[in-house]
Amino acid sequence: MYTLIGDDMTKKDKLLFVIPAYNEEENIGKVLKEIKHDIPNADILVINDCSRDRTVDIVKKNKVKCISNIFNMGYAMAVQTGIKYAAIHDYDYVIQFDADGQHIAKEANKLYEHAKKNNCDIVIGSRYLKDMGYPCPKFRRIGTKIFEKIIKCSCKKTIADPLSGFQCLNKKVIKRYAKMGNYPEFPDANLVIEMLLSGYKIEEIPVKMRLREAGESMHGGIIKPIKYMINMFYTIFFVLITFSKKKVKAHE
Amino acid sequence: MNNIYFIIIAILCIIYIGSVVRKRKFSVKESFFWMVAAFLMLLLSIFPYSIDFIAKFFGVEYPPTLFLVFCIIFLVFVNFRNSKRIAEQQEKITELAQNVAILKEKENEEK
Repeated sequence: MYTLIGDDMTKKDKLLFVIPAYNEEENIGKVLKEIKHDIPNADILVINDCSRDRTVDIVKKNKVKCISNIFNMGYAMAVQTGIKYAAIHDYDYVIQFDADGQHIAKEANKLYEHAKKNNCDIVIGSRYLKDMGYPCPKFRRIGTKIFEKIIKCSCKKTIADPLSGFQCLNKKVIKRYAKMGNYPEFPDANLVIEMLLSGYKIEEIPVKMRLREAGESMHGGIIKPIKYMINMFYTIFFVLITFSKKKVKAHE
Repeated sequence: MNNIYFIIIAILCIIYIGSVVRKRKFSVKESFFWMVAAFLMLLLSIFPYSIDFIAKFFGVEYPPTLFLVFCIIFLVFVNFRNSKRIAEQQEKITELAQNVAILKEKENEEK
């Protein structure tokens, strides 16, 4: 069975699922039930980003803790709210989980165990590392390839899926993210590069994912992806000049 | 070689914007438009006669006016964006203040 007990068997790690949700009434119930069934020891926190549907009611019906943002702040800020909660309540590991039913709860255990065993700071669940049968839109696949190349050139490390929202963070990272005043709007490749250049250990393991069942994706349409790409390149450029290796060493 | 001064000014602008963002005194997102403007300034100072071609394209007889028109459009655009931001933020601050007040009252009741 799935145990969340550490190697020394005495100290249990506190594990928190952070699930940002925006208008996810169709998916969230299933997601919560799945996590509760597969990983009963973990705490769950849903951050309701000012949804206009019955998301909150469904979360409350499932007896899960729910924080409601006062106004819509976007995916990244909702995640950061959850991470701040984790920092205040002294959690050892946070698992970022999507509310749309794409992520599979059993795979979260793999992430956690990998982080624990190899002493990683961040473990990313990757769709592309092995062929896990995840059908992906072509445009998105090309974008991911570009970011993979940039990360490889700047940090000498292969992260095949830096856009994955399925991550396990340890205490060190939780503290850092919680304090970040300029947590990026899209915390994807730019954040991975920043953390790698700052000397954090990031690893990636292959996970299975489902396709989205219902509701609307946040990267839909034509203009949004283009805006996203421009924003990303610009942000990565600044991350690179701010956190280049010499600077980090000088800082230490 | 008169335009060498303008090239230097444009490069200084780019470096200044970059350094302010790097020191985290300016957000990356907000700096984008200013960076674009600074790069356009650099391009115009390297190829000052490009404005003539653009003026011909738009059918403007005196090219410098076109340049001024572009500047004004950019400034009006940025100004409008800022007003919009202020209005949005005002709304959010009100919302937050009201919520804090309600929370405070709740806390008092619990005591």
